[in-house]
Amino acid sequence: MKLRTSTILAAAFALPTAALAETTLVMPQQDEPRTLSPGPSSDTGGHGPTSNIYSHLVVMDWGIVEGVAAYGDLADSWEVSEDATTYTFHLNTDARWHDGEDVTSQDVKFTYERIMEKGYTFSSFLRDVKSIETPNDDTVVITLNKPNMAFLPMMAQGAQWTGKIYPEHLWADQEGFDTGPYVNEPIGSGPFKFVRWDRGSAVMLEGNEDYFRGAPEVDTLIFRTIPDANVARAEFEAGQFPYLPFNYAPPLAEAPIFEADPDINVVYTPSHFSRDIQLNLNHEALGNPKVREAIAYAMDREQMNKLAFNNSWTPGYYAGVSSLQKWVNEGARFPEHDAEKAEALLDEAGFPRGDDGWRFSVKVTGPNISDCSAITEILVRQLREVGIEAALDRFDQSTWFSRIQDKQFDISCYFGRYGPDPDAYREHFSTDGARNFMSYSDAELDELAKEANTIRDEATRKQMYDRIQEIVVRDMPYINVFEEQKTSLVRPGWTGFAVMPGGFNKSISWFGVYGVSGPEDAE
Amino acid sequence: MRLLRYFLYRVMQMFPIALFIVIINFALIHMAPGDVSILLAGEGADPEYMASVRQSYGLDKPLYQQLGAYIGQLLQGDLGLSFRTREPVIGIIAERVPATLLLAGTALVLASVLGVVIGSFMARRPGSALDTAVTTLSISLFSIPVFWLGLMLILLFAVTLRWLPSSGMMSIAGPREGIGFVLDVAKHMILPVISLSAVWLGQYVRLARSSVSETLAEPYVTTARAIGFPERRVMTRFALRNAMLPIVTVLGLELGLLLSGAVLTETVFSWPGLGRLIYEAILSRDTPVIMGAFLIMSFTVMLAALVTDLLYATLDPRVRL
Repeated sequence: MKLRTSTILAAAFALPTAALAETTLVMPQQDEPRTLSPGPSSDTGGHGPTSNIYSHLVVMDWGIVEGVAAYGDLADSWEVSEDATTYTFHLNTDARWHDGEDVTSQDVKFTYERIMEKGYTFSSFLRDVKSIETPNDDTVVITLNKPNMAFLPMMAQGAQWTGKIYPEHLWADQEGFDTGPYVNEPIGSGPFKFVRWDRGSAVMLEGNEDYFRGAPEVDTLIFRTIPDANVARAEFEAGQFPYLPFNYAPPLAEAPIFEADPDINVVYTPSHFSRDIQLNLNHEALGNPKVREAIAYAMDREQMNKLAFNNSWTPGYYAGVSSLQKWVNEGARFPEHDAEKAEALLDEAGFPRGDDGWRFSVKVTGPNISDCSAITEILVRQLREVGIEAALDRFDQSTWFSRIQDKQFDISCYFGRYGPDPDAYREHFSTDGARNFMSYSDAELDELAKEANTIRDEATRKQMYDRIQEIVVRDMPYINVFEEQKTSLVRPGWTGFAVMPGGFNKSISWFGVYGVSGPEDAE
Repeated sequence: MRLLRYFLYRVMQMFPIALFIVIINFALIHMAPGDVSILLAGEGADPEYMASVRQSYGLDKPLYQQLGAYIGQLLQGDLGLSFRTREPVIGIIAERVPATLLLAGTALVLASVLGVVIGSFMARRPGSALDTAVTTLSISLFSIPVFWLGLMLILLFAVTLRWLPSSGMMSIAGPREGIGFVLDVAKHMILPVISLSAVWLGQYVRLARSSVSETLAEPYVTTARAIGFPERRVMTRFALRNAMLPIVTVLGLELGLLLSGAVLTETVFSWPGLGRLIYEAILSRDTPVIMGAFLIMSFTVMLAALVTDLLYATLDPRVRL
């Protein structure tokens, strides 16, 4: 019997204990789901519930940092053809929809084809797909137009959000994945079944006894919407839920207090993202490579680490992150802090200090996330020390994103990504890359990035990505600042959350709780 | 008859005002950078996808065309579909209104009744130690940020003492009908109602106190006292009735803000109300929901103003319509 949360909940809410006699897991989340249909669009409030209701073809979790980019969910195994254009997936034969029907290869084909036809967000990961065939009920064959080494890892990453598999027999007569009775009463094939959604409050799921990997340990799974981070922290401390996800996490300066508390485990999770700055090369001064180099010298990561992160983050001196060490070129390194050198470079570049002491002015902005806010605040001070009149510009997330897309920024904090496949360099630094807001363009890099994505031999690829990192560090359209690390709080006795090492390949996606189990002892 | 004509006249007036509000809202929302496609696109932020979202929602058309289409839709009584959920806006709003009315309505009634009682009581003892204490307290209540008060209440009653639930409107696995459900909701209401009404309470105490003490100094009150009416009668029949005018004005204004006045409280207490809906809709640029909610809110403000004016006429015969 695992009574811990249930008794706390029952006491707090004065419920009849019989209603919650088994393991109940309450997961707080900041946003209310928009819908419970994951296909049409990204939905920060919906990812939690839908990732546990639906299954994926292939998926990944934070274990990506252990070097395994993708693992099968519905797919038990797969083979890739010699020319890297044909992927043959063998599906798990025990998988069933929550209404009892078999999950078949037809469902996968139906889902992916509709996603491509409707142009839903996941279709960008399926761009190179030529055809999807289903030779039998348990086999899916996906053929690509051209080799794409990022295909499988990116598909696994995208599956977190919008690439879940839908039951064809329930959706075939619907026009899209956003109409009909199953949008908000989903039938999936995942470890949890939908029970109820109280709008504005919570989504309730129950463990699926017939799940093809075996029933989950958690019997009742509740996603509660708690928009205020302080309230979520207070409730965590009051024992109302055993896990405080990283997006609620307290400032790292408070981490020692939590670490000293025997009733709280602080979990640090490395990721394949960095915190970096993108520089807008259209800016009069930032267009000058010497100025960008000077900014790299002006930046003091150690000071930032101490002030903002309690020295617990890893400074990023390479154009990569150590969680994906095998792709990092240690020969290409961003400079260390040297304010004098920075000033000299700025003088050389033709931006001497004026009568008022300033060389030129820049606006520093960033996404509305706490670590970027901390980094940019300190960066502004460090830039001002070398005579750059820097000022902070803050916006809500949507405004910030549309501004950097329109190149209406000078310097912006950013969450660069280096995995799950190094093809990420192409997204960030090639001329038409979706994450290249810097207006950076280098012909050699463009060529290399395009070619490297089609090459199967890892050693050859590695050489090409090494060269790409050299070019990026030479030109510095962006400067890496830190490797991202996620901080979550977990109650002792609870294991298997996706952010914990034990959750690797058991949580089934970043939002999955299939691997979670509660304290063994009954109270 | 005259009252009815005035009433109809005022109702007719509401429509051009509403149109004006729609246009202003529309312009303001579209001045803010960013649109819903960014949010729907998520991590990948695929430009092609974002363009297709803009196209399917008509966001690629010129502004005046979008506005025209929207007003045309409104004239047919249709508030449109939410960009985020593809559900009718009217349903989304209707779903949230009861929660807000329950919370804000209870808090407003509590604050105004209690405030008037305490305020009138204090007005009769101006300058006393109790009066000073209450005045100081009401000023502090009035100036406390509601989210801070809410957090403190949660810390004390939900986290430390564990007497009350910290947030939400009902227990997720709790009863959904009968007396059990009512009690469950009532329990969840206590803290948000206290924090919301505390702010209003301070305001009503101050208002009632000053307005009652002013009327108490009026000659007709002195006359009434001289005639020998009992003090109780003097207070209710003469002083309070006249002192009610400014209170009713403020109450009327606040009644209009009932639907929108609880955004912070709703956020702190995770209350599933309209205020939070609007907040979320603004952050995600869900234009139809923002516009619909603003429109309904502006109608409540106008209705409340109308009711206040009518009440005025009843309370004070000098006000000729």
